[in-house]
Amino acid sequence: MKYQVQHLTQYEYESKVSACYNRAHLLPRETPYQHVSNPRVVIYPTPSTGSRCIDYFGNRVYHFSIHEPHNVLSIQVTTEIMIKQDRNVIIDELSYGNTCGQVLEQLNGSNQTIETLYAREFLLNSPMIISSDILRSYAAECFAPEKHFITAVRDLTHKIYTEFEFDPDVTNVATPIEEVMEHRHGVCQDFAHVAIGCLRSLGYAARYISGYLETLPPPGQDKLVGADASHAWFSVYSPGEGWYEFDPTNDSVPTHQHLLTAWGRDYSDVSPLRGVIFGGGRSQTLSVSVDVERFESDCDEE
Amino acid sequence: MPSKKAQPQSQAQLRDQPQNSVAYQPLIGTYDEAVTTTGELREHWSFLLNNLQNLGTDSLDQRVIKTQRILRDDGATYRSYSEQELTWELDPVPLQFDSSSWQLIERGLLQRTELFNRLLIDIYSTQELIHQSVIPPEVIFAHPGFLRPCFGMHPPSEQALILHAVDMVRTADHQICVIADRSQSPSGAGFALENRTVMSRVFPNLFRDSQVKHLAMFFQSLRHKLNQLAPNGDLPNIVVLTPGSRSESYFEHAYLANYLGYSLVQGRDLTVRNGYVWTKSLSGLFRVDVILRRVDDFYCDPAELKSDSYLGVPGLLEVVRSGKVVVANPLGSGILESPVFLKYLPDISQCLLGQELQLPSVATWWSFDPLDREYMLDNIRQLIIKPVFKRLGQQSVFGGDLSDGALNSLQQEIQQYPMRYVAQTYVSPGCAPCWQNHQFVPRPTVLRTFVVAGESDYKVMPGGLTRIGHSPDLRVITSQTSSLSKDTWVLAKGPEPQVSLWSDKVGHISITEDQRQNLPSRVIENMFWLGRYAVRAEYALRLLRTVFVQLNNQYHSAVHSYQAILRAVTQVTETYPGFNATEDSLLFDNPEAELISVTIDADRPGSVMASLTEMLHCAEEVKVMLSADTQRVINDIRDNVSILENSISSDFASAPEEALDPLVTSLLALSGLVHESMMRGYGWRFMEIGRNLESAYQTMSMIRALLVPVLPENDEDIVLETVLLTLETLITYRRRYRARTDVINGLELTVLDDSNPRSLSYVLKELKEHIHKLPERHKTTFLSRERRLVLELLSNIQLAEPEQLTVEDKTTYDRSKLDQLMHESQESLNELATVLSDVYFDHTETQHQVMETSWEDEL
Repeated sequence: MKYQVQHLTQYEYESKVSACYNRAHLLPRETPYQHVSNPRVVIYPTPSTGSRCIDYFGNRVYHFSIHEPHNVLSIQVTTEIMIKQDRNVIIDELSYGNTCGQVLEQLNGSNQTIETLYAREFLLNSPMIISSDILRSYAAECFAPEKHFITAVRDLTHKIYTEFEFDPDVTNVATPIEEVMEHRHGVCQDFAHVAIGCLRSLGYAARYISGYLETLPPPGQDKLVGADASHAWFSVYSPGEGWYEFDPTNDSVPTHQHLLTAWGRDYSDVSPLRGVIFGGGRSQTLSVSVDVERFESDCDEE
Repeated sequence: MPSKKAQPQSQAQLRDQPQNSVAYQPLIGTYDEAVTTTGELREHWSFLLNNLQNLGTDSLDQRVIKTQRILRDDGATYRSYSEQELTWELDPVPLQFDSSSWQLIERGLLQRTELFNRLLIDIYSTQELIHQSVIPPEVIFAHPGFLRPCFGMHPPSEQALILHAVDMVRTADHQICVIADRSQSPSGAGFALENRTVMSRVFPNLFRDSQVKHLAMFFQSLRHKLNQLAPNGDLPNIVVLTPGSRSESYFEHAYLANYLGYSLVQGRDLTVRNGYVWTKSLSGLFRVDVILRRVDDFYCDPAELKSDSYLGVPGLLEVVRSGKVVVANPLGSGILESPVFLKYLPDISQCLLGQELQLPSVATWWSFDPLDREYMLDNIRQLIIKPVFKRLGQQSVFGGDLSDGALNSLQQEIQQYPMRYVAQTYVSPGCAPCWQNHQFVPRPTVLRTFVVAGESDYKVMPGGLTRIGHSPDLRVITSQTSSLSKDTWVLAKGPEPQVSLWSDKVGHISITEDQRQNLPSRVIENMFWLGRYAVRAEYALRLLRTVFVQLNNQYHSAVHSYQAILRAVTQVTETYPGFNATEDSLLFDNPEAELISVTIDADRPGSVMASLTEMLHCAEEVKVMLSADTQRVINDIRDNVSILENSISSDFASAPEEALDPLVTSLLALSGLVHESMMRGYGWRFMEIGRNLESAYQTMSMIRALLVPVLPENDEDIVLETVLLTLETLITYRRRYRARTDVINGLELTVLDDSNPRSLSYVLKELKEHIHKLPERHKTTFLSRERRLVLELLSNIQLAEPEQLTVEDKTTYDRSKLDQLMHESQESLNELATVLSDVYFDHTETQHQVMETSWEDEL
């Protein structure tokens, strides 16, 4: 499956910004099942410096600074992403592999593989996700020592999907996880955080994934440009088996419609844009438009 | 001349005790640096202690006083977290090492620093320690000092770690035991140098005869290394980055910057442009090649690290990544300070160096390890519990000191957050003789040693900073609890050659004209305000002094002048409403409270105290620009400020002006020193601009308040006398005009007379000279705004005719022409100040985060 993704981010400031220094996580990374080609970034005003590098988690990151005074900053990213067919290995049959008990045993045991040693980083508290009794007891019913681990995580995903309300107006990027738990609503980012927090509180390693989701129009209607969204979900580690992705917002296991940008411990590691501006006044408006377009020819390049 | 009093006493002492027996009782059961277990004085201590003892009690006490005076004059202070500024204290008995025992320490330190260097490189690159399961990954991943944006940032080099400090004590069985490592931006090397400087001044003979190893080589190595690191070619611009004058060891930052010859800058003095770091200076941007940082690493770049930090430089990390600037110690090195490493250090040494660790560290347990945790909880009363990462206000605690309740909650805390705590055994530090209460007493000592990267290997400072407890049983000695220190002498086998920091050839520098203009704009701005506030305080003090004299002496019958003089206090200091708004006779009958308030109320802008406080703050910001003598005068002013409130209140009944005299004298000394000894750079020029601008403004205020109103003749004499007294021109006036006082003559002297350095004409001429010598930002044929303004000001004053100005306006019953001239001139001065600020000072807007975040608090 091949897609073209267009992601336009625009900041409008109350007064002029004289300079800014930014780090952007907007370029999708390579994964075993995802190939990225022709990535292009167009920023206005033109940055005085810009450079690409790979961050600690292996994500693509773009650093840039602007010294031209501006009221509007726009960043347009265009990429082509090819999702390989062999991704959806776990979609139908979830009752196999490690049991919950086995996962915990191996995460705490000796003689661990390098992969497991490094997965332990995703078991720790991170800037936006702190393990707690509340999270643990919320998720506990989904897990049992003899239960298949991925079945249990699938159940947790379903539980969050059914018990939390999707509401883009009540939370923002800085909403703490405790508040989301209390009010039981939020957006994809909050649900991913809740799931990760639950898993870590129970002793499992989980990481945050940012990316895009292709949405399909209702039958008979044309797709609206910009209707797609930047999206977030999570993946969980099972020793010896690797990482499994789950999407609590859609109660699904990500398949060829989930296009991955970056992963980290939580949102703060991979926020699309962070940095410092000088000036800009008191307020700013952010508008984001994402367009995920499937290449009709679905050509099998592989 | 020897003190007469000291002589007989010390001779008596000498008679009582034989020459080579020193009156010193070591602490039983503790290792003592000076005395063996059998009670013998160690050989290398005998010379020192006998010499000190032979000075006699009084003489030694005198030298201690002298020591403290020098430290205070040098401004050697340490700011505690409670914002209290403590003068550094120096014990006259240095801690001594003979060359063979020092060699052991030195060898151990060289190994340890190399180990920490490899550790730093490993953490931020291949992480062999995790791969080979030498340490659990949580040691690194759970530590907030592991800065992920810095991962892979440094090209693998032999020496990533530039400076390393190691705190050590001597255990009861004579062994060296390391209690902590400092790798972030180790402080103390500057204090060690200051201690050495003072000791060699106060005990010159003893110091010379003891053949003490010099410290200069250490700093020479540092300079070589920083030069070598410079990425952009010869003559690197190296700066010392400080968090600012409120930082706990600001003295040291300024001291080292001056000693090494580097500029002292704050984060906001620097900016990132076109892929380089620059200093924002009066004449534009100057590229920075190396930053010796004294700011903790995660504060250094709000764009990528702690996003609400105002101490750093946005975009710095990206410049470091591209290799265009070098930061020492490297960003990310803070993680090496985690005490958890001490637990694993022998294994780490085997893995990274293939060697056995030479210097043992204090026994350390980490509650993340289940066995360690059990041990910690069982033995908590015998252990020191330390946070792995010190969050603000978190301290190490000794379990035995805690109440049952506190112990209980600490145990719960450990169980809930096992990764956050380590426990260490309490090592009873060895003692050394100290001079306290006129005798030698044993006190526990902790030695901080320093290692610096040289051109290819590491160098150990022969000496260090020894800190001592105030009492024999002090458990934890840090600068936060004790500022009592010792010099540390490593004895050479033969006479030491004299080394100067500047004798090296490689680090030779030639300062270009450009570099001299290279002062950060912030420094320029503070110099300007230092000048303004000093003069503002001086005028307020002079006026108040005159007012006190006039009020207490006489003239109570002359009600008009009495009220005019009091109103002048309000008008000149701009402390409205004061005496201005009211006909309130009560206030005029009892003016004392208001006058005291205008003197000492620091919260009232315009008061003497407020101006002096601002002035001292500016002085602190520009510390590196001020000579030692100037620094001493600043210290005097600070001392006088601190006692002003008491002295004015107690003196008020009689001659309150006396309380103000010392401050006026100090302020005059300051202006004299600036005139005599300051380099004529832009720093000096802006201070002079500030001074002249402010004194013109103040004189105009005084004329408006006192000479504009038309008063009965007798009253007019009194107010004119007040003006002349305040401006210190009364004697000249009387000599010149002999006849009775006259406002016209007064104006001639205070406004027009070019030979009077306090006249408006004189002051404005000076101002014009200085402004004409400022670098012009845009070269045009037209005069710049600031030059035009000062020219206009000067001409208006010079063209003034006293006869016309003093004509009484029949509608307002005052000298309205004089008022108008003074008023317009003041407006021009204000505009001039604004223009200067716009053109020459830094006006970076406040930085904001692109996205408001709340998560950084977890750090």
